[in-house]
Order: sequence, then C-alpha cells, then structure tokens
Amino acid sequence: MFDIIGKRRYGYVISAILVVTGLVFILATFIPGGAAGLQFSIAYTGGTVWEVHFQDGTPDPVAVRAVLDEQGLPGSEVAITGADNREFVLIRTEALSLQAPEIAEGSAAAAVAAARASASPSASGVAPNESAAPNESAAPNESVAPAVTTEPVASTEPVASAVASITPDASITPDASAAASTTPDPSSSPDASMAPVAGSGDGGPVAGVPTAGQFGELATALQQKFGNIDEVRQQNSVGPVVSAELVQQTFLLILMAAAAIMIWVSYRFRDFRMGVSAIVALIHDVIVTVGVFAILGTFTGLQVDALFVTAMLTIIGFSVHDTIVVFDRIRENRQRYLGEPLELIVNHSLVQTIGRSLTTSLTLVLTLVALLVFGGEAIRPFTLALLVGVVAGTYSSLFVATPLFLDWHLRADRRKADEPAAAKSKSKAKTSAA
Amino acid sequence: MQRAVPYLVLALFIGALVVALVPLPRAWSDTGGDLETKLGLDLIGGLRGEYQVVATDNQPVTPEILEQTRTIIENRVNATGVAEPIVVTQGADRISVELPGVEDEADIRSLIGTTGVLEFMPVPPELQGTVGEGPLPEGMQDIEPLFTGIEIASAAISQDQNTRQLVVDLQLKDTGARLFDEYAADHYGEQFAIVLDNQIMSAPAIRATRFGGRAQISGGTGGFKPSEAQSLVTVLKFGSLPLEIREVGFSSISATLGLDFLHQTMLAGIVGIALVFGFMLLYYRVPGMVACIALIFYSIFAYALFRLFGVTLTLAGIAAFILSVGMAVDANILIFERTKEELRSGKNLTAAVEAGFGRAWTSIFDSNVSTLITATILFYFGSSVVKGFALVLGIGVVLSMFTAIVLSRMMLRWVVQQRWARQRHLFGIDDSEISLDARSRPREASGV
Repeated sequence: MFDIIGKRRYGYVISAILVVTGLVFILATFIPGGAAGLQFSIAYTGGTVWEVHFQDGTPDPVAVRAVLDEQGLPGSEVAITGADNREFVLIRTEALSLQAPEIAEGSAAAAVAAARASASPSASGVAPNESAAPNESAAPNESVAPAVTTEPVASTEPVASAVASITPDASITPDASAAASTTPDPSSSPDASMAPVAGSGDGGPVAGVPTAGQFGELATALQQKFGNIDEVRQQNSVGPVVSAELVQQTFLLILMAAAAIMIWVSYRFRDFRMGVSAIVALIHDVIVTVGVFAILGTFTGLQVDALFVTAMLTIIGFSVHDTIVVFDRIRENRQRYLGEPLELIVNHSLVQTIGRSLTTSLTLVLTLVALLVFGGEAIRPFTLALLVGVVAGTYSSLFVATPLFLDWHLRADRRKADEPAAAKSKSKAKTSAA
Repeated sequence: MQRAVPYLVLALFIGALVVALVPLPRAWSDTGGDLETKLGLDLIGGLRGEYQVVATDNQPVTPEILEQTRTIIENRVNATGVAEPIVVTQGADRISVELPGVEDEADIRSLIGTTGVLEFMPVPPELQGTVGEGPLPEGMQDIEPLFTGIEIASAAISQDQNTRQLVVDLQLKDTGARLFDEYAADHYGEQFAIVLDNQIMSAPAIRATRFGGRAQISGGTGGFKPSEAQSLVTVLKFGSLPLEIREVGFSSISATLGLDFLHQTMLAGIVGIALVFGFMLLYYRVPGMVACIALIFYSIFAYALFRLFGVTLTLAGIAAFILSVGMAVDANILIFERTKEELRSGKNLTAAVEAGFGRAWTSIFDSNVSTLITATILFYFGSSVVKGFALVLGIGVVLSMFTAIVLSRMMLRWVVQQRWARQRHLFGIDDSEISLDARSRPREASGV
C-alpha cells in the first residue's frame, strides 16, 4: 500500500512555502507607494470616466478596448451610450493624469473654449460664437456639446458668453494649433472644417479633448484610429463599484462561514480536531489563491477584478468537500478497525479516497480549463482564481487537513500516555508529603 | 410511494422545461413583467441615470456625504430586488446609477425613490392640532428643521405592548437624540412634523419630555394599518438622504461585454461540459451515462429556477453556472466509486449499488450541508451582490444533491434490473479486480 501519510513532512514544507510566499506578496500590497502585491482593478479603486462622440460614427467597442489595451490600460470598460438620439462612447479606465477642471459651468466652458481654440486648426477658421449659434437652432441639445462638465443640460447662454469673452484669445490660435496640433491625421482636417456647415459638430473636431499626459496620448491614439472627437459629454472621476465596505463585509462573512463550518464538521465527526484541521486547510486555500494573484499581479500586472470576491466565496463554499470525503472515510475506518494505530487508519483512508478526490477535482478542472481557453477575456481572472482554488483545495485536503488532524491526535495521545505517569508521581509526592 | 417517484420526477422535469423555455407571465408576483431570463449590464446593457447632490448654504458636498448618498441609493435599488445594479460616485458631487435591461426612465425614478431630504420640523403654535399628512401648510415653509434624516439610526415596525396596535419604533443617533430631547422638554403635548419633499409624512404629538433617542410613533386612535406602518418605516429608513439630489440626465448604455462574449462563454461551457461527459462515460460507463442524464436534468432545472427567482445572469454568473455542472457531478462520482468498491469486495450489482448510495450518503450530506451553511450565512448577512451569489450557490447545492440521490439512484436501480446491464465491466470493473474469495463464487457475485 502507498504510504501517503508518511510523506506528510513534504506536504507541510510545500504548504509552508506557498503560504509564506503568498503572504509576503499579499502584505506587499500594503506597502505605501509600492507597486508589488495585489493589483486592484478600477472596480476597487475607481478611475476616470470619459464619454465622447466621434464625428465619423461610433466605433466598435471591441476595437476601442484594443486601443486602451495598447495604451497600457487593461481592465478598462467600454460601452456605447445613447441620449437624445446621439451615440457616445463611454470609457471607464484607471485614473488618468490630466483631469480637465470640473468646476463651475462658466469657467469649465471657458477652459473648453480655450482648449478648443488652441487644439483645433479649424476653430480658427470659424468664429466660435458663430458656430454655437446655428447649432442652437438646429438641435438644442447639441449646443451644449463643448461643456466638459458632466452637465448635459447646461444652459447655452453661459457657454456662448464664455466663448465670446475668450474670442480675443482665438486670434492667436493659429500658431498655437500649429505647434500643438492634436489632429495627427491631416486628411481629417478638411472633414473637420466641413463639420459646422453640415451642422453635425459644434465647430471643430476637438472640443475639450485633453492633449497632454497619458490622457492626451489616449485621446490621440483614439482619434488616429476612429476619427475626430467632436463632443465630450463628460470627463470625470468615478468611484469604486466594489466599495471598501463590501470588501470588509466579505472578509467578515468568510470568517463567519469558516467558524460555522468548523462547528458543523466538529459536530458531525464528534471530533473538534477534524473541524479545526478542515478550517486550517480552507484558510490555506484562500491564502494560496490570493497569494497567486498577488504574485502574478506583481510580475504580470494581473488585476484583481470585481469577480474575485465571488471566486473567493465559491472557494470557501467548496474547499471542505474533499476534506470531508477523507474525514468521512477515517470516521468509518476508525469504527471498522478499532484498535489499529491511527496512522495506519488515516493512511488507509487516504489511499481509498485519493482516487475520487482526484476525479471530482478533475471534472472541475476540465470545465475551468475549457472556460479559461475558450471563454472570453473578461472572465479569465475569475476562472483562474477558481482553478487555483480547486487545485489548492484538493491538495490541502490530502496534505494539510488530514496530516494536521493526525499529528494533533498523535500528540494528544502521547500527552495522554504521559499524563497518568505524571499523575502517579504527583500523587506519590502527595503521599510522601503526608 | 416508491412507484410514484419516477412520475414525480418526470412531472418536475416537464415543469422545469416549460419554465426554462416558455416566457410565462409572472402572475403571482406584484413586480409584474414576464418570466424571462434576466441578463446583466455586461451582457445586454440598460439605462444610466445621473444625479447631482445639491449643496446647501451651510452644508457642502463632502466625499463622506457623497458616499453616504451612494450607499442609500444602492440600498434603495437593492431593496426592490433588482439585482446587479451599478451605483458609483462620479466627480465631486455626482452619482450614476445603471440598471440592467431597463429602458424606461420611470423605472429608474421609481427605484431611486424620493430625492429629497427627510426633515424633523417643529410645528408653530398657531398650527398646532391642525397639521396632518399632506402638503406642507402655509406658515411652515420657512421653518428651520430640528434635524434631518441623517440622525435616524433605525426604524422598525413593532407592536405596542398595551394596545396591541402596530407602532413604528424610531431610534435616533446621538445628536438627533439630544436635539429632540431639548425640543420635547419645552413642547410636551405639541405636534411636530416629519417632512419629506415638502410633504408631511407624519405629525405625531410628543407624549414625553425625555426620549433618550428612542421614540415610538403610534397611528392615533385606530392604529396603523400594516401598509401604513411599512411605508412610514420605508420613509424613515430610506428617505434620509443627507442632501437633496437632482436628476441630471438619462442615457441608454450598451453592454460592456456584449452578446459575443455570452456566446463565446457558452461555447466554452459546452466544450467543458462535453469533456466532463466524455470522461464520465469512459471512466464509469453505464453509471457514467446515468450521471450524464442526471446532469442534463440538473442544468435544465437550475436554469428554470434562476428564471423563477429572477436571478440576473452576468457573464460571471453563467461561468459559475457552468462550473456548478462540474460540481454537481461530484456526488455521482462519490456514489459510483463507492459502488465500484463494493463490487470489488464481491457484492452483486444490486447490493453494490444500494451500498454505494448508502455509504456515500454521509459524506455527500456532510459536505453539501457545509456549503449550505456558507450560503445561508452569505444570504442573511451579505449585501445584494453577495446575496445573489448565495442564492445561486444554495440552489445549485440542493439541486445537485437531489439529482444525485433521487434521480441517479432511480435510474441506476432500473438499470441493474436489466439483463443487458448485469456485467461488471459495464460498471468499470474488471474481473481481476475482484477480491479472491469473492471470485470463487462467480455466480453469486455476478448477480445472475
């Protein structure tokens, strides 16, 4: 018969290495200013939301996401929004440097006008206040276009006045635009200058589009690919979807569930050492899974997304299954082979159940690998977390929970064997004292 | 009783098929709408509403207030059972609310509820005794409120011990408790008003001079009707936005991932489940076949239950569902392994199958109950996202236990009665594996 339990030292060593390494990388997350450890996605950190209209038609979200990936902004979300019969591209991404001021309407509009004036060559051709006027009559909603504030229903007057007040600046724009042109595609300029005539734009291809920093690079890349951005509906910071509160709550719930499972296993197996060992294995699985993400996050930038919480909950829901199968067999064999050494019984139980432990995990691994290989990019981190959890769960039931239970028992037995002797010597001492 | 089981299972299966495939009107629920598969924002998109928190002269919009408002709005949306909304803060004073599968602005409006501030207002002497529920009367428009709904710690329905009438218990936070006691000390017997959006929601008389933060609102001589008490509790609990919010605008929002991802994931799922089926058939043969049928049953039944409970399926939810199929097979594996073991020890087929179910039951029960415990804790203590997950987890566990213990057992019992099936190799056992003393009695062991 295989001697699995005799090799439990190796199991302890491997688990210790896994857990310690994992913990180091997990804790590295909390070093302020460091880039190591878990990389949280925008679901946890919040970021920037940018909603823009492309003059040449709405691009495919998948293509936009590809550009974001190229710009080093993975994990961004792209959606098409529609309001007032106009389609916008909504981009949620990690916080980008260079935020346009988001203050009072008047000053924001002024900033927009300034940005527009300096950025767009065509703006110099058309007087800004003139371009606003036709729009107002054509479609009232479009006249708000240049406002960078998130206010889609801003009154047109402040915008117009702000633009008017800035007109003197507009006279110097030709030079400025030549120096810092954000329209890299020269072929698009003729189109752009046509825009006000067609009445579809607000007077220029670029309105309040950032030109500097990472944000500017992104804007440039997007415009290179999909044509000019002629309206910015909003450009704002966005809060986290997964609040710190939810993460805290999940952590607390995992502890509560672990305690409840411990009580249940202790009760069903009439052995609290089994309950505690099962929970130690469960915590082991959680640490290993989070640790793998912390390590991969450090070296490959793999992000922890909103679904990670769900994956952790799934792992704690199923981690003890394999452990219980082994413990169930130990329970049965203890009664059947009463009087045999526990070490033999435990090893026999492991040998008897290892086949089904591996098979039940194999079915899960098969489905998860299929999802990992053929499923979409979006669920890949989720699937990976589950895969690590399932493998860790099977491993820990064999090499953490069961050996731990055995060693604890053996130690207790040894102590029990010592105790009568100790008690005897004590009573002897008492009698001698008397 | 035993004979009825196959028919019962068949009836359940047909019922599940109907629920899974036919768009039924949801007649029994008051939320209305057809019984249909709900997809999440990532798959079908929805509607996006934007709100602005309005600062007052003496109260600017702080990040704390913004987050507090976001939480209240999220709670309000979740209280109605619409799963998987996305409520986030935006900029310094905005909150955006995205709801899956919604097209009508009115739907968001009704879920967000009131946008105003709940205020506790003194009633001036000249209006005492005349104030009731309804619009704020002349002469009360400009009165400074005692405090606002932020000061409410909790509100709940309970029963008065003496009158047996329904009452609403109100607990105030420290500042509110102090302010209310100060006011009550001078205004014993007078009315005060709980006001929301310029509407008086309740105007109880003060019947004590010291409350210490705990007040009880009774419904006058007739007492509250249950619905009245409930709506007052709702107002007190969720009406308390720290500052007023204002609609900024609505826009439709497309799926962030889209149906292509759904199809891709479903294809991956089919590949994964096909691998599991193939493995089961090769490794366990006839029982493997039984397990596959049980799994198909499981999938249809689980899908039907998701529709019944209105579970919102996001891409991750679908991946989890596919995973649950891989997990549902576990119980079958435990049973078949045990059956094999019993066959090896020399039992005949019928006895081995029965022993397989009997002996595997304890471990299946113990492990699934531990998962159910987790699901229950998550459901009772978790917030909406976690609750939805717990529901799916619970459904999956109970259903997989049912399919393994009832369905697989029923089918296997039938199979072992069939002449063609009475060969051990169909159960994945070679004769050489049988223990020696059992092999000396081949006739009995083969069960013929």
